Amino acid sequence: MPMNTNNDSTQARPLKSRKGIFSKIWGVLASVKLTLFVLLLLAIVSIIGTVIEQNKELQFYYMTYGQGWGDFIIKLGLTDMYHALWFTAILGLIVVNIVVCTIERFPSKWRNLLGDKTNFKVDIIDKLSRSDNFELAGVPSSNKDGLLRVLKKKKYKHLIREEGTGFALHAWRGVIGRFGSDFTHVSLLVILLGAIIGSFWGYKDFRVVLVGDTMQVPNAEFELRLDNFWMEYYDSGQIKQYNSDLIILEDGKEVGKKHIWVNEPLYYKGIRFYQSSWGKAWNRLSGAEVILKTADGKFSDPIEINWMETKPIPTTGYSIKLVAYVSDFAFDTETKTVFSKSGETNNPAANFEIYKDGKVVFATWLLFNHPELVQSMPDASEGVLLLNGIRGILYSGISINKDPGTNIVWLGCLIMGLGCYFSFFVFHRRLWVRIEEVEGKTLVTLGGMINKNDLLFDKEFNLLVKTLKEDGSKSFAEVK
Amino acid sequence: MDQPKVILSLMFFTMAFAFYVVTVLCYIGNWVFKKKWLGQLATTMTYVALFSTSMILVSRGFESGRAPFSNLYESMVLFVWALTVGYLILEYKTKMRIMGAFVMGVALVAMISASMLPYRFKSVEPLNPALQNKWNFLKDILEPFGLQNYAIGWLDFHVFTTFIGYAAFAIAFGLSIMYLIKDSYEKKDKRSTLIDSFPGADMLDELSYRSIAVGFPFLGIGIVSGAVWANAAWGQYWSWDPKETWSLITWFIYAAYLHARVTRGWRGRKAAYLAVVGFIAIIFLYWGVSFVLPGLHAYA
Ligand code: HEM
Repeated sequence: MPMNTNNDSTQARPLKSRKGIFSKIWGVLASVKLTLFVLLLLAIVSIIGTVIEQNKELQFYYMTYGQGWGDFIIKLGLTDMYHALWFTAILGLIVVNIVVCTIERFPSKWRNLLGDKTNFKVDIIDKLSRSDNFELAGVPSSNKDGLLRVLKKKKYKHLIREEGTGFALHAWRGVIGRFGSDFTHVSLLVILLGAIIGSFWGYKDFRVVLVGDTMQVPNAEFELRLDNFWMEYYDSGQIKQYNSDLIILEDGKEVGKKHIWVNEPLYYKGIRFYQSSWGKAWNRLSGAEVILKTADGKFSDPIEINWMETKPIPTTGYSIKLVAYVSDFAFDTETKTVFSKSGETNNPAANFEIYKDGKVVFATWLLFNHPELVQSMPDASEGVLLLNGIRGILYSGISINKDPGTNIVWLGCLIMGLGCYFSFFVFHRRLWVRIEEVEGKTLVTLGGMINKNDLLFDKEFNLLVKTLKEDGSKSFAEVK
Repeated sequence: MDQPKVILSLMFFTMAFAFYVVTVLCYIGNWVFKKKWLGQLATTMTYVALFSTSMILVSRGFESGRAPFSNLYESMVLFVWALTVGYLILEYKTKMRIMGAFVMGVALVAMISASMLPYRFKSVEPLNPALQNKWNFLKDILEPFGLQNYAIGWLDFHVFTTFIGYAAFAIAFGLSIMYLIKDSYEKKDKRSTLIDSFPGADMLDELSYRSIAVGFPFLGIGIVSGAVWANAAWGQYWSWDPKETWSLITWFIYAAYLHARVTRGWRGRKAAYLAVVGFIAIIFLYWGVSFVLPGLHAYA
């Protein structure tokens, strides 16, 4: 089978014929060899970032790879490789390559293909890989209709020129297939543009919101309130889904709401809010339950106290208020403050104020795991308060993301899809036909080419030859 | 806890496995002994194997109550299915059975690898929160029939298109190996009854290009739909996680292949080597990344 590489109009000028340093550099930047080099380079260096874990703390690299290699990895920017300067530079090189390549080839390709349509030469038939000539019955004009009919059925466009006693014809279809690669190349620039816009004008953030709380959205004129957070489970106990009910507030007024879950973000004024994590609040409770154990060992009924609520302690004349909470109790002896050592509920403790006649008379931390550790009533003889239970509160972790480049990236992907379709599924086919009368005989010379997929074209070309021959004999019969 | 039953799909798997063994043996027999009836039997067996593979997917769909594209085992079966369909198209278009020994050979190897997956990959696991991405319009359409669980989303679409791409690359891989063998024989003017029955080197080159011309856009659509899904689930269309990066790496290799074909000095053998390297990268993307490298992808 003859190879038909047929890139006549897309070859750049060879490097050897280029004079001058600028011209040589330009030649290199326009070459497909450079493209091959850069694509393979990108493939190879990208592997590094999949083997070395990205964006960890520096500590991690020293611990995993040792001092020497750790230093090396950090110096080369391999900790965040895909954003390192040198990686960006390789991407920049391919951009330059695409731009120069297009400037170099596109105009001549355009002119050639246009020129084909206005001023065609039939003499090239001899040079084509697919050509044929044979004798037909009838006169040239009688063959014309049949030929045009076949071409029309096969969706070819054509130009026709009278030549002496006969005519010359040029037909083509699928020119757009030749521009598929240009669409694809431009689409890459569009996608990169979108990525650049995103990295300059977008931001990423993360907020933790407790159920019932309102969060300020960074760089925006609205707030979000979390009305509810809940989880769904499979029968097996595995988590099926996390859900948050978000209310959008503008100037304190409710302007919209949305139930979000993993895979279903809220999109408002160019900003997206994603369900990304959840947990138990480490500094807030919805309520707590305390019990008073009197000096003679009797227990009172449990007292239910909501967050920041005051409740009387029966039979004592005191009342008690729940004012603070930590999930993992710790005490800083220098600043004399209580704090939570972690986000885990390892050592929960609640802080209460005790009132008498509307005035604070005492304050105490009650530890759930260590009852009776502290004096918890204003006077030790009045007994001890025990933290009997806590009602935790969930928070929802919300990722905030603004990326004005996203839609440009999708646009680029769309153009790339078109480009691939044109490149791989639309074939540029061209035919040249001459039918002339020589010494009373009607001679047909025809040839054609396709830019790829010779198998397909073989069939089509043979069909055309066959139809011409049959059609000719038919018209011959009519003349008789 | 009640595990959904996977008996039917495992039964079809076992049958399909046997059919692929027979198919490949027939194709090899047809190639080596040049018996026409072996070739016809091979083609028939390919259809039988395809039917059985389709039934794995269908029964799997019933067993899990959702579209069957969500873990390594299911995607492996999908790959074999697409590869078989692709091969049958190739055979129909070229009317040649020689390539069956190579292309269906790849399908058999894939079946063997799938059968060696640990049981936890074969059983039906519930979807974790990030994997529950369904197109609402499809849910709405299927709801009246009680089939809303079978709605697919970006994720399924992503897996589906990616694996059609892989299957096309697998065909190109088989053809490129044949090309490399045939080309070296043609160049040195060596003869061998086994190799002479291959299609010409030019034709093998053209056919493997056509396969890659199908695989390249499908892998592209796969990467993009994966990005759309990531954007919905994590708020980022691209995060350079190992699986994403590897899919980009293979895509770069095949882009290099396409450009090698229009470059003097790279046409032919070097391009064919790239098609082979590209497929090796896919195998790594498929298995290596899942088992060796850390990442977000729970399935292939
Ligand atoms: C990631 C980068 C690139 C991608 C994904 C890409 C993609 C493509 C695709 C899909 C084709 C069509 C292939 C075919 O028809 O078989 C193509 C063709 C081509 N590309 Fe690229 N390309 C890239 C970079 C470049 C660069 C930097 C150049 C500059 C020299 C270039 C030059 C060409 C040429 C000359 C063709 C053949 C055009 C034709 O036959 O009409 N490509 N490219």
